Amino acid sequence: MTRSTLRPAALGLALVLLLLAGCSREPTLYDRKFLAFGTLVEVSVYGGQRKQVEAAIDAVESQFRYMQKTWNPWHPGALARVDSLLGTTDWFSVAPSVRPLIVRATELSKASGGLFDPAVGQLIKLWGFNQDARPDVPPPDPKAIADLTAQNPRMTDIQFDGIRVRSRNPAVYLDFGGFAKGYGIDRTIDFLKSQGIHNAIINAGGDLRAIGRHGDRPWRIGIRNPRGEGMIASVDVQGDESVFTSGDYERFFIYKGVRYHHIIDPRTGYPTRDTTSATVIGTDGATCDATATAMMVAGPKDWYRVAKAMGAHYVMLMGNDGTVYMNPAMAKRIHFETKKPPKVVLSPPL
Amino acid sequence: MTRADWTLLILTLVLLPTLYVGLWGDRGAGESVEIWIPGQKPQVLSLDRNQTVEVQGSLGTSVIEIRDHKARFIASPCTGKVCIHAGWQQHAGELAACLPNKVAIEILGRDRRYDSINF
Repeated sequence: MTRSTLRPAALGLALVLLLLAGCSREPTLYDRKFLAFGTLVEVSVYGGQRKQVEAAIDAVESQFRYMQKTWNPWHPGALARVDSLLGTTDWFSVAPSVRPLIVRATELSKASGGLFDPAVGQLIKLWGFNQDARPDVPPPDPKAIADLTAQNPRMTDIQFDGIRVRSRNPAVYLDFGGFAKGYGIDRTIDFLKSQGIHNAIINAGGDLRAIGRHGDRPWRIGIRNPRGEGMIASVDVQGDESVFTSGDYERFFIYKGVRYHHIIDPRTGYPTRDTTSATVIGTDGATCDATATAMMVAGPKDWYRVAKAMGAHYVMLMGNDGTVYMNPAMAKRIHFETKKPPKVVLSPPL
Repeated sequence: MTRADWTLLILTLVLLPTLYVGLWGDRGAGESVEIWIPGQKPQVLSLDRNQTVEVQGSLGTSVIEIRDHKARFIASPCTGKVCIHAGWQQHAGELAACLPNKVAIEILGRDRRYDSINF
């Protein structure tokens, strides 16, 4: 090789190296974790100016702290005050920070035929699931469960008159649980959009809403295996989509070999049976949370009717025997990540 | 061939495969684990070194095991043991948390296999 041929070769090599190195440059992903609603919240933002993004995430964190305090039914705050006044069955003025949550939860409870019903707060408390760390005690007395369930507290017991509300039933005690988290995710996603942030995920305790994309590809979401290690499936989301899962593994205890978890069937007063998890993909987080909870209560025999009534388009339910039930549109989107795919039962289209 | 020719040839043979593997290899593989406790600077440990780490959470001690490029909770003072049942975490973006003890672990890598985990 002469000097005259060496120079173009060196230039060519330098060009190849530069091109390869250029592939590794990507816009920044801003990521922050914090605790709120008794769970881990993670905010991820793709691209944007650091100062602007950091300020927006600061505000999201503050909003979550405010919502946690305001919507906690078991600590002094706006919702706890509403709950104490609902018990009187008298009319009272409801805090503006709580009213929209009650209105939306009532709409969704009606759509679910009462299978999603946050009015069962007293039952949640009786089971001990109102505490972050439930004491290691047996299930409650069956008579106490039966007495509370017989009082039949329902969201439809709540009446509205402008800013005033009352409950016809003194047993109504609102514990929005995961629904408040979903509603909070919706509000903070709206806030991020208002701040000019259009590519982000807010994940609160495993339930998330994603907007935009991760650069030139969709956001990749892993759906954790409820009964094993790693992921059972993955799904790509983009534009503006929420992925919410309710499951029997988030808060539970095992007594004499029986698993008791935090999703209570309002009809029986006991934790739901037959279903391990229910996953819903949709636009707003609050609707997805309510639908997933109602599907947990409905179980493998009745989930389709409930999902249709609640206007869901992409749903997946895992039965206690590991069978996966889903609608055809969900089946097209889901990619199973397990070595051996589970048994799948497809429903008619939703 | 001159000395410059040899230098160029060796550089090509060494750098190109290295860059190829580095940039287009298994980008989702975990490289380190971040142990996150609110109010503290996150602790980042390489997944290359097998070790067991004890960290103090709000209730007590959580024990995290790092082995064969994976990490998991093996003990924590919570009642549900959800963190332990989550098992091994190995791909970038995977995480497990002991919420009662306020300790979380997340696998870090250049490219997350998952951008977010739903559960």
